[in-house]
Amino acid sequence: MTPIQIILLGSGGLLALLYFIRFRTRLLDRVLFLGLVVGGALLVIRPDWATGLANLFGVGRGADLVTYLGFVIIAYLWLMLYTRLRKLDTQLTELTRQIAILEAKKPDQAK
Amino acid sequence: MKPASIFIVVPAYNEGSVIKDTLLPLIESGYSIIVVDDGSQDDTWVTLQQLPIHALRHPINRGQGAALQTAMSYALRQGAAIILHYDADGQHSPTNIPTLIQPILDGKADIVLGSRFLRPEDRQAVPAGRRFLLQIAKIVNGIMTGLWLSDAHNGARALSTEAAKQIQLQEDGFAHATEILQQMRAHKLHYVEVPTNIIYTDYSRFKGQRFWNAFDILFDLFLGRIFK
Repeated sequence: MTPIQIILLGSGGLLALLYFIRFRTRLLDRVLFLGLVVGGALLVIRPDWATGLANLFGVGRGADLVTYLGFVIIAYLWLMLYTRLRKLDTQLTELTRQIAILEAKKPDQAK
Repeated sequence: MKPASIFIVVPAYNEGSVIKDTLLPLIESGYSIIVVDDGSQDDTWVTLQQLPIHALRHPINRGQGAALQTAMSYALRQGAAIILHYDADGQHSPTNIPTLIQPILDGKADIVLGSRFLRPEDRQAVPAGRRFLLQIAKIVNGIMTGLWLSDAHNGARALSTEAAKQIQLQEDGFAHATEILQQMRAHKLHYVEVPTNIIYTDYSRFKGQRFWNAFDILFDLFLGRIFK
């Protein structure tokens, strides 16, 4: 096993451990993440599989296919995070609004 | 209609140096005034507490659209008959208020929009750079909303109670000005444009929107459409 394989497998394993211990996500997300980690590990261990897969999709090198897929996955994650952020933003504004209305100062309360 | 049933709503963010001068003529005219301090870091809130107005404070900054919606929600609870949007930086003139509310009183409109481009003297008062930017904003608004108006992002508006109940701003930032038009169209609200003048001071131009803000607004509108 080459040093880069050890580094990639080690960091991938740590990431997976952190994910499953710290994040309480939906079952579907967990299955998808597990698939991603196992798939990634297999490609690290057997780079020739990546090349075979790449040829199937009409891409020359396995590394190129992994890069392209990486872009798609990052874009998907960004979209998911953005949706979540927008939802949190809406909730935060509503909470701020309710506090402001509850603590409103009327004209006869001028200091 | 009693002036007290007409609610002037003013979103304010770090306007401590001008807010009192903006509000005093409105207070003297007998209108009900709601100011939402949108989490200012200066002495805006201290000043507001000393004035005979409805003063609300967002504990954290949420944006002009959010502050306007807070003010409108509160105004409706206070029994407002007409709600008028007014800028805190002193660029709106109190003399425009009767012009803005009259079409609602006459039953001719649910929403009245102020425009800087209906009278030659108002048009000429708009700085050339701003005029150019507003022409682009008008086209963007037209494409996004289907409403082709003579002005864009003019903060002076008047809404009837019914209109204010139907408009629910989701855009917290400056994109609310286009969102209002989208909702006006969706709810089939009747509107008219009336001539209003804007007083351009160094302060209001400094506080006003910059060219690059236009890109932020476009970005917000685009994403707002995708992520409802």
